Amino acid sequence: MFWSVFSFEIRYRLQRPATYIYFLVFLLITMLIIASGGTAASEKVYHNSPAMIGSFFTLLGIFSVLISSAIMGVPLYRDLEHNTKEYLLSTPIGRSAYFWGRFWGSFVILLLVCTGAIVGYIGGTILGPIVDWSEPERFGPNLLVNYLWPYLTLFIPSLFFTACIFYGLVAWLRNNRVLYTASILLFILYLFSNFLVRDLEKRDLVDLLDPFALNTYSNATKYFTPAEQNNLLTPMTGNLLYNRLLWPSIGLLILLFTYFRFSIIRFVANLSRGGKSKVSDEHKARVTLPVFNPVFSSRLNWSNLWNLGKLEFRNIIKDNYFLSIILGGVIFLFIDDWIGNLQYGVPDRPVTMNMLLFKTFNYSLFVFILIMFYAGETVHRDRATRFANIADALPVPNWVQLGSKFMAITGVCFLLATIPMIVGVTVQVLHGFFDFKWKYYFIDLYAITFWDYWQMALLAFFIHALVNNKFLGHFVGIGIWVLIFISRSVLEWDYNLALYSYKPGYQISDMNDFGHFGEPLFWFNFYWTSFGFLLLVMAALMWARGSSHSFKSRWQAFKSRWNRTSATLVLLLSILWLGSGAFIYYNVSQVNRYTTSDEGKERSANYEKKYKKYERIPQPKVTGLMLYADIFPEERSIHMRAQLKVKNKTNQPIDSLHLLSDDGQQYQLFFNGTELKPCYTDILPRPKLTILYNRPDTGGYRIFKLPATLLPGDTALLEIRTRQANPGFVNNGYRREIIYNGTFTSGGIPSIGYSADMELNSDEDRKKYKLPEKKEELPPHRDPYGEKTLLFNDDADLIDFECIVSTSPDQIAIAPGYIQKEWTDKGRRYFHYKQDSKADYFFNLVSARYSILKDKWVSPEGKEVNLEIYYHHEHAYNLDRMMSALKDGLSYFHRNFGPYQYRQARILEFPRYAAFAQSFPNTIPYSEDFGWYADFSDPNDYDYFYYVTLHELAHQWWGHQVVPNYTRGSNLVSESLAEYSALMVAKEKYGHDNVQRFLRYDLDGYLRGRAGESKKENVFINCNRSYQWYQKGSLILYALQDYIGEDKLNAQIKAFRDSFALKETPPFAGSYDLYAFIEKAVPDSLRYFLEDSWLKIALYENHILKATAKKLKGDEYEVSLTVRARKMYADEKGNEAEATSTNDYIDIGIFAEDKVEKNGRKLTQPLYLKKHRFKNGEFTLQFKVKGKPVKAGIDPYNQLIDRIPEDNKINVDIK
Amino acid sequence: MELIINNLSKTYANGVKALNNVSLTIPQGMFGLLGPNGAGKSSLMRTIATLQEPDSGSIHLGDIDVLRDQESLRKVLGYLPQEFGVYPRVSAAMMLDHIAQLKGLSNRNQRKETVEALLQKVNLWKERKRNLGSFSGGMKQRFGIAQALVGNPQLLIVDEPTAGLDPAERNRFYNLLSEIGESTIIILSTHIVEDVKTLCKQFAIICGGEVMAVSTPQEAVNWLSNKVWSKSIPKVEIEEYRNNYHVIATQLAEGRLFIRVIADSDPGNGFSPAAPTLEDVYFNAISTKMDLVTL
Repeated sequence: MFWSVFSFEIRYRLQRPATYIYFLVFLLITMLIIASGGTAASEKVYHNSPAMIGSFFTLLGIFSVLISSAIMGVPLYRDLEHNTKEYLLSTPIGRSAYFWGRFWGSFVILLLVCTGAIVGYIGGTILGPIVDWSEPERFGPNLLVNYLWPYLTLFIPSLFFTACIFYGLVAWLRNNRVLYTASILLFILYLFSNFLVRDLEKRDLVDLLDPFALNTYSNATKYFTPAEQNNLLTPMTGNLLYNRLLWPSIGLLILLFTYFRFSIIRFVANLSRGGKSKVSDEHKARVTLPVFNPVFSSRLNWSNLWNLGKLEFRNIIKDNYFLSIILGGVIFLFIDDWIGNLQYGVPDRPVTMNMLLFKTFNYSLFVFILIMFYAGETVHRDRATRFANIADALPVPNWVQLGSKFMAITGVCFLLATIPMIVGVTVQVLHGFFDFKWKYYFIDLYAITFWDYWQMALLAFFIHALVNNKFLGHFVGIGIWVLIFISRSVLEWDYNLALYSYKPGYQISDMNDFGHFGEPLFWFNFYWTSFGFLLLVMAALMWARGSSHSFKSRWQAFKSRWNRTSATLVLLLSILWLGSGAFIYYNVSQVNRYTTSDEGKERSANYEKKYKKYERIPQPKVTGLMLYADIFPEERSIHMRAQLKVKNKTNQPIDSLHLLSDDGQQYQLFFNGTELKPCYTDILPRPKLTILYNRPDTGGYRIFKLPATLLPGDTALLEIRTRQANPGFVNNGYRREIIYNGTFTSGGIPSIGYSADMELNSDEDRKKYKLPEKKEELPPHRDPYGEKTLLFNDDADLIDFECIVSTSPDQIAIAPGYIQKEWTDKGRRYFHYKQDSKADYFFNLVSARYSILKDKWVSPEGKEVNLEIYYHHEHAYNLDRMMSALKDGLSYFHRNFGPYQYRQARILEFPRYAAFAQSFPNTIPYSEDFGWYADFSDPNDYDYFYYVTLHELAHQWWGHQVVPNYTRGSNLVSESLAEYSALMVAKEKYGHDNVQRFLRYDLDGYLRGRAGESKKENVFINCNRSYQWYQKGSLILYALQDYIGEDKLNAQIKAFRDSFALKETPPFAGSYDLYAFIEKAVPDSLRYFLEDSWLKIALYENHILKATAKKLKGDEYEVSLTVRARKMYADEKGNEAEATSTNDYIDIGIFAEDKVEKNGRKLTQPLYLKKHRFKNGEFTLQFKVKGKPVKAGIDPYNQLIDRIPEDNKINVDIK
Repeated sequence: MELIINNLSKTYANGVKALNNVSLTIPQGMFGLLGPNGAGKSSLMRTIATLQEPDSGSIHLGDIDVLRDQESLRKVLGYLPQEFGVYPRVSAAMMLDHIAQLKGLSNRNQRKETVEALLQKVNLWKERKRNLGSFSGGMKQRFGIAQALVGNPQLLIVDEPTAGLDPAERNRFYNLLSEIGESTIIILSTHIVEDVKTLCKQFAIICGGEVMAVSTPQEAVNWLSNKVWSKSIPKVEIEEYRNNYHVIATQLAEGRLFIRVIADSDPGNGFSPAAPTLEDVYFNAISTKMDLVTL
């Protein structure tokens, strides 16, 4: 019996074209994605490595939601829909055979259909190189086991889970519309667990709560190096194994539950209608029908339009599925708004600009689903409910029918655009935050977002009006968006004029409001909305009415409906559409020359091919700068007149000056008073999308022949006059340097000579443009050129700097240096700054409307330093932290590393378009998004605002006093020492036992960084990546001071500083110089650590297996720990080998319960913390401690670089 | 005012000839369309109701050229389709009010009166506030009748209107129709011969897309006077009789089979004359196209 049902199901499906279509869809989509290299593989990882295949199939598990609902939702429903249930189920078929036969039959088909992905994947690896969509080296060997293993262990459990759910749901509820809700709920569950990932602490919960194991898989493999990604089949252990067993089991349980509740009789029964029908027993007297004559007027049509629109809107809103989906969206928006963007685990205050930003996280997906789906529902409603048989014969003109439905959808768009305001304000109020910016809400939601939604609706409407089948319509609609999305992300086509409803990105900033984004947004919305309405008119002309919906009948309808009104309307809309399009094109491609990403790469390649030969030619260096800058914030332009004193510091004569500016920039050059014209200017080729190119862009590289040779030691005066402006608007990119409020720019002075920074870095790109492989980025240690050149700027060593900058009268302009004078003249406000000591050639001009907080720090010797914080008036929340950081930092650094070289320290807030902080001489611009409005009220949070201020302040020593040279690894002198310095102040404030919360993020950052390495990982002394000089540097320097003593290490660092501070002549400081100083303080017994951390790549896998304790008398406990210590060395590709002959010092710690201070801060209470020597292996240790032990661990503070940091500590079992 | 249908033809994509050169002139009053399932009745009704386009032919209602000027016809049309659906979450009163508005009754009070009267007429007054989704089949049908009657249409088309109604409801419905008035053209399609006999002034028999006959009920019966003969026979002999006589009906009663045949003169053989009924006319008309023996 089971076999007949089972085999029938399979035979039936094999006959249906839908089965083959699904298979082909899986195959084609996978093939296209893989062929175009659309995996997350970093450059050295194969697209078809076990890790990438694993991640792809895990992701595919989510799409199994769609395919499962399509295949598993059908078999039972088929009998309901076609009404075969009555006679089929009255045969002796039996409940179990029916239920399981249909299930397994369909599941087998589902499995077969999904193998299309395997075939597609393999096909993609072959197709990619053939059609030249990817390089052949990006694909490794195709081993079948690499495919079958993830398919079996990662994908099938997800598939089984969704199959059980959908099958079970239909069996229970006898209705397949429930599948929509189920899919949505699954997505919700999924997105919810996704958002929990942001907080590192709850990792286990995240790993298990993820039904498709996307996060679990990513957590299990995130630290795999490229070598491991290419070779290791992802092992099924730990959380990944539990997850892959858990969810299919849940599915099976649901299925079994449904089975036991399933009864054929229940299944067959007619769905009750709900509500008893009342028996009318009243006998009414004879009623006569009144006679009223209908009146048909155009006013009637308009009122019908309105009323039908209202009715249709009601139909949508009262739909249970609509309510559940919108509820899901609201919940997600609420959660996103409530938690916000955690930085280092710290929440922000719920500022309005973020309440509007977060709707793009998850809420947008729900909006998309609702609009696409309900556009279809509303267009097809009459036919689906068969009300069309009546409605179509009513005297309602076509335009009223269509118009009313469109009005209803417009109402939905309006509702969806209003929800973020309601949710946002609610969240703000619940947080006790009352600074509502209504202007932001109204403009963003109704002038920008509503139009996005409306355009989506117009397209969906058009598709559904044309396509007869509702599901096909959904498929086409979603397909179009997927195609656009793929073009943008995989193919990197981002020309917004060609991608429906796309427009340039924008951001709202408290400092700059909507800034200059208003103009392009307006035009693009105008353009796309006119196009959308054109589609709507077409839809109206082809609107299906009556029984026939064939294409032929629509074409007939179109022809018969085409009249003067429609022609005028189409003409008018076309003019609006094309007119706005032309205006946008003019701005985006003519005034501003849009280039595709490939064109950009080609330009970089040509730059290198033409000019690299000039890389080391002798060029003068700048020794002094007098800058006159005029900033015009409302016009977004800046005039610069830079007077540069230059000197030939080489021992060769210089005949020509090579200058490098931005592409397209124009400037005048005066040499000792006379204007020089370039003897060579590069002309850039016409961008593909620019038609008129009569004023071609010039390339940045220009060569000027000097009127007289500049001999070694000679000086000269250069003057450069240039103007930077932002005419029109661009296709993409914020253009954030010169804006209405919060200008932050370097002004655009061309640099001297060839710069290797402008070259293409990616090996893949270089190969494509036939450039040689780029081995190392910087010259080796003690390279003569490297030692006499500064890292950040090869144009100068230390210079004199003076600047007169003007801006609008209501803004403050700031440049490095001490303010000499401030005045206003002719409606402009002037500031004169001067550095009275030499500084490095690194500056920026900032101009904004600021509030200022002033304070002072006095050194023990009595030197006064003015402290100034320039902030946006609404962001005064955390100024006290910043000020303490400045004071604490100055005290510590002054005491331990040497005196502060300036008399002022200023911090300037700049808008959030870029999210970093930077250190210029005595001036630190600091991004709006980096903590100004964060909420540090939880004392256990990582005070990153304090920490980053310290880091930037430390740069005044490391980077400005000691400037690194241009050799391999030298950046650690600046960045690692700045990190270390900040950590030391944090240690002073919080205590060594509590610094772990800072180091935790560093360890995670380092491990992730090396997993995403695209070339090779250098040893620390040659560090060439930010994850090395920031994160690894923090870790190893902190560990070092813990080993040898803070004072000893600081003394060496101070000596290093003394040796190189404010040095005006080469050799400048390199990483080996710092190493040489530090070496002196490291005793022989710890030398291994210095070499491991600086000269090799050492990784530990320390692990505590067991911790038990026994109470003795009093409060003494005997604690027994079993630990495993293991050290490995890795090579630059990430291949690891076990270390032989280790004997390392590693902390063992036993801790009591955390103490909680009055303000809530938790403090770690170590009962025992000492370093023991360990070889590789497993060991048991015993201790006696006073006080109840709660946790214990090996290297419990994660000071050593450990592959799996979480297993270093466990709870103590008290017997 | 008359509805003039001229040479209407329609062939579906699968080759089925739904309408084959149908021509009818329908005056005011009740006109019946009688025919078996699949005869083309619904196709004809839908075409007149502007929901379907024929391949060829024309339809005129007074001055209105229906096929060209659909909107004008819809303004004077009341249509009850054979099957239709409703918006489940709207109440009967609200929907009817809404349709009244669509049909041109913009005055709120007029609408209220009309809706009230109609709902009472079709006996849905007590259920007027319930959502249409909860209506039983019969209630839905009554609602359909109500909406067709809104606006006092000049042309009322009802397609198998009494399907799903119990006998009492059927009677109520026919009383309703007969009150509508002499100035309306009412086309009623059905396969229940009894209905035609009771209600219709004129009727047409349609089968296989063709008009087989047009007449008044009385006249039609007269065609067959003295031509109908009946006999009771053993069941097993039916094949023989089919081959030798023009059998138009068979009936089982008390275990025996009674057959009715058409013959111009007495066939003898135990046949006795029977008074012709409208059923006979019907079966006779369609016998050329269909197999009537139901055993």
